[in-house]
Amino acid sequence: MAPAFLILLAVLAYPILYTVEISFSELDLATFLPSEWVGWDNYETVLTDERFWHSLKVTGIYLAFAMPLQMVLGFAIAFLVNAEWRGRGLIRALFLIPMVVAPVVAGGLWRMMLDPLWGITNYLLGLLGVGPLDWFGDATLAMATIVLIDTWRWTPFVTLIATAGLLSLPQDVFEAAEIDGANWWVMLRHITLPLLVPIIAAAFVVRWLGAVKMFDIVLASTLGGPGRATNVINLFIYQEAFRGLKFAESAAMSVVVLIITMVLTAIFLRASRQLEARY
Amino acid sequence: MLRHLLHRLRIAGSIAACAVFLFPVFWMALTSFKQQRDVFTSPPKLFFTPTIETYTTYLRFADVPGRMLNTVIVAVGAGLVSIIAGSMAGYALARIPLRGARTIGTLILLSRGVPPIALAVPMFLVARNLDITDKHITLILAYCTFLIPYVMWLMRGFFKSLPKELEESAIIDGCSRFGAFFRIIVPISLPGILSTFIFSIILAWEELLFALVLTNRNAVTAPVAVAGIAADMLNGVNWGALTAVGTITVLPVVFFALLVQKWLIKGLADGATKG
Amino acid sequence: MSHLTPVTRRTALAAAAALSVPAAARAAVAPTDGGGLGTAEAPIALRMNANDAFAKMWQTVLIPEFNKKFPHIHVTIDGLPYSEHLTKTLLDLTGATPAYDLICNDDPWTPQIAQTGALLDLKKDCAAWTDADFDWNDFYAAPLAASEWKGVQYGVPLRSNMLLMFYNRTHYKKAGLPEPTPQLTWAEYMAQAPKLVQDVKGEGKVNAWAVSTYFARDQLTPTIWQAILNANGGRLLDKDGKAAFNTPVGVATLQTFVDLLKYAPPGAKSHVFNEELTAFRQGQLATMFMWGSVFRGTAIDPASTTLKPDEVGVQVMPVGSASAGTHRGIWSGEISRKTKYPRAAWTLLQWMSSKDGERFASANVGSFPARRSTLASKPEFPWLAPVFATLAQSYEVAQKGEMWRPRLAKSDAVQQVLADEVARATSGEISPADALKNAAGRIDKLRL
Repeated sequence: MAPAFLILLAVLAYPILYTVEISFSELDLATFLPSEWVGWDNYETVLTDERFWHSLKVTGIYLAFAMPLQMVLGFAIAFLVNAEWRGRGLIRALFLIPMVVAPVVAGGLWRMMLDPLWGITNYLLGLLGVGPLDWFGDATLAMATIVLIDTWRWTPFVTLIATAGLLSLPQDVFEAAEIDGANWWVMLRHITLPLLVPIIAAAFVVRWLGAVKMFDIVLASTLGGPGRATNVINLFIYQEAFRGLKFAESAAMSVVVLIITMVLTAIFLRASRQLEARY
Repeated sequence: MLRHLLHRLRIAGSIAACAVFLFPVFWMALTSFKQQRDVFTSPPKLFFTPTIETYTTYLRFADVPGRMLNTVIVAVGAGLVSIIAGSMAGYALARIPLRGARTIGTLILLSRGVPPIALAVPMFLVARNLDITDKHITLILAYCTFLIPYVMWLMRGFFKSLPKELEESAIIDGCSRFGAFFRIIVPISLPGILSTFIFSIILAWEELLFALVLTNRNAVTAPVAVAGIAADMLNGVNWGALTAVGTITVLPVVFFALLVQKWLIKGLADGATKG
Repeated sequence: MSHLTPVTRRTALAAAAALSVPAAARAAVAPTDGGGLGTAEAPIALRMNANDAFAKMWQTVLIPEFNKKFPHIHVTIDGLPYSEHLTKTLLDLTGATPAYDLICNDDPWTPQIAQTGALLDLKKDCAAWTDADFDWNDFYAAPLAASEWKGVQYGVPLRSNMLLMFYNRTHYKKAGLPEPTPQLTWAEYMAQAPKLVQDVKGEGKVNAWAVSTYFARDQLTPTIWQAILNANGGRLLDKDGKAAFNTPVGVATLQTFVDLLKYAPPGAKSHVFNEELTAFRQGQLATMFMWGSVFRGTAIDPASTTLKPDEVGVQVMPVGSASAGTHRGIWSGEISRKTKYPRAAWTLLQWMSSKDGERFASANVGSFPARRSTLASKPEFPWLAPVFATLAQSYEVAQKGEMWRPRLAKSDAVQQVLADEVARATSGEISPADALKNAAGRIDKLRL
C-alpha cells in the first residue's frame, strides 16, 4: 500500500506546492504562473490586513458553535433513528436529503423561508407574537442563521456515521452488561462511549475539516454580511481570488489557513489517540 | 414496560427530528410547483394554482437531464474509487503497525486543511497541461483527492472499533492479511463502509467549485447548472426552476440510499453472528 | 531563493509531481485569410462563452438566425455562472489552446483580460474583414466604450443594460404625490420617501415601502451609491487611479444611500438583486433602482409579476447637482487572439451587433440595443418605446458623467473594496465617513 500512499501524496502535494510557490511570488495573469519572486511580501500584506484577522475570528465563532452542536445533535439523532422498527431504513435515507441539496439552493431556500417580508418562519413566529426578526440584517442573528443552516445541512453527516457506528457495536457486550444489572448511564459511560471513541473522533475530524472550508452557504445566503459579520475565511479568500484576482495574496492566506488548520487538526488527532489509548 | 415506552419515544423522536429536518425540503418541493409571482407573497401561500411547467419545459431547456447524468457518472465513479482505495488505506492505518504509514496517512489527512479555492486553479492548470479539461475522468480524479483522505480516516475509525481478535484468529487459521481483510473485516464493517460510500457520493454530488473550474460543456454537473440559474442577473432568479432542479437532484441519492439500507442492516446481522 | 529563475523552480515542481508536462501545443497560427467563412464541405466550428442567463437563448434563437446568412459557421455557446465567469475566461484564454474563439465580457472586465494580450484589436486586426456598411459611429459612445481600453477597441456591445429607476404609479397616486419625472431631484425624492411608506392594501398596517435596491455585501451595491455620487459631480477615481471619492460630496452621497434604508422594508439590509426585484414585483415598493433588463418580467409578464403594464414607470435615477444618475452594464463580444478563425468570429460579432442583428435580438431574445438607429426606430412591442427612450437618455448621461465601474487592470479588486466598505456603512457597522476613508486607503494600496 505504500506506493498508493505516495501517488496520493504527490497528487495532493502538487497543487499545494503550487500554492506555496505562488504565495511567494507575483502571479502573471497572462500565464497563471509565478513571475517574480517577492519573498515574504504577500505574507506581510496578508498578516497586516485587519480584514484577514477579522475573517479568522468570524470563522472561529462559527466553528465554536456549529461543531459541538452538530456532533451532539448528530449522535443524539442517531440514537433515536436506530430504534428498531419498520420505518427505520426510510427515516435514515430521508435524513440524507439536506446534505444533497446543492449549497446554492440551500442558501436560497433558507433566505426564502427566513425573509422578513415573505418568509414562512417570521409568519409563524408572528402568529406567536414574536418578531419580526431580521435574520440576515442583524449581525448576531446572521451568525446564528449561518450556524442554523450549516447545522441543518451537516448534522445528517454525523448522524450517518454515528448510526453505522452504533449498529456495529457488538451487541453481546450490552446483553452481558444488562444481565449484570447495569443501568443505561453506566452502559453509555463505560461501554458505548469507549467503544465509539474512534468513530466519534473520525466523524469529528472529517466534519471539522469540512466545516473549516465552509463558504458556499454564506455566499448563497448572507454574502458575508451584514457588513462583514459572517465573512468566513474561505469566503474572504474566494472573493479576493475570484473577484479581486489577487491570486498571490490569496495563496499566502491559504497557506496560513492551512498551517493553522493542520496544527489544530494535529491537536485533535493527538487528543483522540490519547482517548483511544485510555479505553 | 419502561423499556417499551423508551422504544416508542425513540421512534417518535426520530420521526419528529426527521420532520424538522425535512421541512425546508418540503418547502423546496412545494415552491417548485409555484409560478414566479406566487413564490414570494405575504403571508406565504400554502395553497396556489400549481404548475408543472418548470418540470416540463424549463428543465429540458437548461439541459438538466444531461447534467444529472454527468453528476451520476462522476459521483459514482469517484465514490467507488475512493471507497476501495480509502478502505484499504484506512485498514492499513488502523491495524498495520508501520510508523511511516501512519505519518503519511496523517499528512494526507492534514493536507485537507487547505482552502479549496487555493486548489482550484492549480488543478485546472494540471488538467490543461494534460489536455483533459471538461472530461468526466478529470472530475473523478479531482474528487478522489479530497474523498480518499476522508474515507481513509472514517474507515480507520470503524476498523479501530472492531475487536482485534477477529482477524487475528483468521490469520492464525491460515488467512493472509488480505484474505482476512476481505473475508472477515469487510463483511463485518459493511454498515460503516456503506455509510462512508454514501457520504463520498454525497460530497461528490454537491461539489461545486472544482466542477465550475474544470468543466465547460461535456462534463458539467447539476450543481453548476443550479449555480447558473441562481445567478441570473438579468431577469431575476427563476425560483421555480431553482427549486425544481434542487428537488430533482435530491431524488437519486435518496433512492440509492433506500436501496442500500437493506445491506446496512444485513452487514449488522452478519457482524452480530460472527461477533 | 531569489536567484532561482522561475523556470528552474517550475521544473523542480514539475519533477516533484510529474504532472506539469505541457501537452504538445497545437499550432494556433491563423492563416492570412483569417480562416475563411467555411464551406458546405468544410464548415467552421466556433465556440463562445456567455452568461448562463442568456447563453441558451442565444444558442437556440440568435444563432439559427445568424446561420440563415452564414450557414457554414457553426457556433456553440457555453453558459457560465456569473461569479466565476471572469476567472474561467482568464484561465481558458491564457492556455496554449483555448476552448473559446469568442468570449462575452461584462462591463468592467475588458481591461483585466486585455492586459494578458489575449484579445484581438477589432479595428486593426480585423479591419480587412469588416463590412463596408458596419457603422461604428452609429453606436452610442457609452456602450461602445465598455470594450475599449487604452485606445484599443476589443469588442462590440452585444447586450446593453443600464441602472434605472422603476416606480409604481399606484403607490405614488395613493400617497398623493406627483408621478416622478426625469427631472426629479434627490432632494425631492428623499422628501417624498416618508409618504411612500404606507398602507396600499387597506390592511390597517404598513405594507408598502418607498424603496429597495442593492444594500448587502455585493459587488453591485457600490454602483447605487456611485450613481448618486456621479449625479452630484463626484468621481470614484482620478486620472492616476487614486481614490477621488473620499470628499464631502462622497460622504454626503453615501449618507443619502444609507438613509434610503429608513424607507425600505424590513430585512432590506440584506437585499440584493433578487429581493428588491421580488418586493417590487409583489407591489411592496414604490420605487427600485434596478437594471433595465428586468422591465419585461416586472411590468409585462404575468407569470413573474403581479403588476400591470401601465402601473410601472421607468426613468433615469434622480438628479443631483450635476445631472441625472445611472450606471452602465454592458456585455460585449470579444475575440481570442489564438482563434484559428478570426474572420468567422468577427463575422458573428458584426452580425450580432449590426443594425439587423440588434433589431432581431431586441425583438426575440430581449436584449437592449446600443445603436442610435435601433433605439430611434419603432420597437417591436409598444411597451418597449418608453424603455428605449430612457435607455437612449441614460447612455448620454452615463457618457457625460463617466458612470461606470473603474476600468483598470484591477477593476474587480477595486470593486470588491468598495463592496466591502459600502456594505459596512449600510449595515451600520461604521459611519459613511469611516467607510470611505477605509476604502480610499485600501484602493490606494492596490498599486494600480
